[in-house]
Amino acid sequence: MKEITKEVLEDAASRLMFEMSDEQYDTLENEFKIIIKQMKLIGEIEGVDEAEAMTFPFDVTTDYLREDVAETPLSKEEVLSNAKDVCDGQIKLPKVVG
Amino acid sequence: MNFEAVIGIEIHVEMKTKSKMFSSAPVLFGAEPNTLVRPLDIAFPGTMPLVNKQAVINAIRVSNALHMSIDNELWFDRKNYFYSDLPKGFQITQDKRPIGRDGYVEIKTKNGIKRIEIERLHMEEDTCKQLHMSNYSLLDYNRAGTPLVEIVSRPNIRSGEEAMKYVEQIKSIVQFTDVSDGKMEEGSLRCDVNISLRPIGSEKFGTKVEIKNLNSLSNVEKAIEFEIIRQQKLLLAGMPVEQETRRFDEMRKETVLMRKKTDAVDYKYFTEPNITPIKLSDEFIKNAIETCPELASSKRNRYINDLNLSEYDADILLQDKAVSEYFDETIKYNANPKLLVNWIMVDIASYLNKNNYSISDLKLSPEHLSDLVKLISEGKISSKQAKDVFLDIVETNASPIDVANKLGIVQMSDENAIMDLVIEALNENPQAIEDFKNGKDRAVGFLVGQIMKKSRGKANPAMTSKLVIQELKKR
Repeated sequence: MKEITKEVLEDAASRLMFEMSDEQYDTLENEFKIIIKQMKLIGEIEGVDEAEAMTFPFDVTTDYLREDVAETPLSKEEVLSNAKDVCDGQIKLPKVVG
Repeated sequence: MNFEAVIGIEIHVEMKTKSKMFSSAPVLFGAEPNTLVRPLDIAFPGTMPLVNKQAVINAIRVSNALHMSIDNELWFDRKNYFYSDLPKGFQITQDKRPIGRDGYVEIKTKNGIKRIEIERLHMEEDTCKQLHMSNYSLLDYNRAGTPLVEIVSRPNIRSGEEAMKYVEQIKSIVQFTDVSDGKMEEGSLRCDVNISLRPIGSEKFGTKVEIKNLNSLSNVEKAIEFEIIRQQKLLLAGMPVEQETRRFDEMRKETVLMRKKTDAVDYKYFTEPNITPIKLSDEFIKNAIETCPELASSKRNRYINDLNLSEYDADILLQDKAVSEYFDETIKYNANPKLLVNWIMVDIASYLNKNNYSISDLKLSPEHLSDLVKLISEGKISSKQAKDVFLDIVETNASPIDVANKLGIVQMSDENAIMDLVIEALNENPQAIEDFKNGKDRAVGFLVGQIMKKSRGKANPAMTSKLVIQELKKR
């Protein structure tokens, strides 16, 4: 497992575009140490790799499928209402390199 | 050293459903940007995905056509990545349990029939469309959530020709099953090619290069043929092939670098918790398959075995689904199949071509085309005269018999009516009967001429001649 150091946290914070105080970094680093220790402990349980993820609390299936019927879409104004910048009816953002 | 190419192809097919994969927003091509959007498509909080029934039916039909085993439980997964084309921050797809597994298609290459194995077919949602301008990007969410099937081949394709035939076969299947328009140029069928080279006999794979943006069948072939030579040159010069994504430049007819690939991205897939696993009953799966429109391969067998068409004619008809459907409709009215194919492939094709129409623009109804073909095969009009009738009915969809009558070109083929004229002509020309008895065969020609005159040229010449000889022998 990747070691969580202060440098890793600083890099993550910078990518997510926020700043933290040294004290907050220390707290976070310590919390990660505890979490990783606990995970290691769980990892030692025999057969844990074969355990299935419990996405659903019960072993249940449904047979519902939505009929293919189109409903009235949102108005263009509604779709764009949260956009900071709009151009030609589209959401405008800084160039994304494709 | 001789190399062999190892090629695998991923094909994304946009389905032509009425609504999206998980939302009820309409699916249409070419609508005004951001007008086909429901809250789920832009990831509004509190929205929940609901799986589109028709999309599942479509996926079952294609899986079946590709000889795959079909999972009777639907599971979806989240593919997590952060990018502007994906408002939720993840794409709902099927990672661990694709609906179709382990299938194949057979392709006809110049070296014979080859089976291409298919690893998986899964359903997922399309992303939004991004338009990259010089210093900004624009987002249109109309495409976000459009149902897709992704078909992943195993890497047992070996040449550009095989790849092209494989994509062509998949295209035909999705078009004939009515799952998709399958238009590469409009992006409703998109393919990414993975290609590497290895020395012949080696089991180890070389470094693979991905080629994107292949928008036609011929570009698939050309891009691969170019890439094989490019990689071969590098390897022979002792240089490594780098792991990268390239695209095909149509003007330069070569692949060009898009980006170098670093380590594979970890999408941190996990089961989509907002969609409870869906049980598909045997009956549902069976029904989806049984109600599937007829595939090209089945039509081909029918054309060749039941209608006695040549392989060539059958293949030509099946190049375009709409053309084969027009043929199927027309043949219901019992026209001669071979003659009908000729009319569709020659006269109708050149009419459509000249006017830049597709077969769906054709006014001429299958029933009237069939009537026209029948007039020819019953000897009522000649092929040459039929062309005059065609020029009229192709524009008006008038009844061909009415038009032929109007043009005064329907041949008289009623034996009794012609016989009346034969008797009349013989009675009026005793000398001709004498001449015939004296061995002068030209008397027959003279009498036929008299009858043609009486019928104003409409008597069927072959029938008239036969009846004249028959009657002369009796006298």
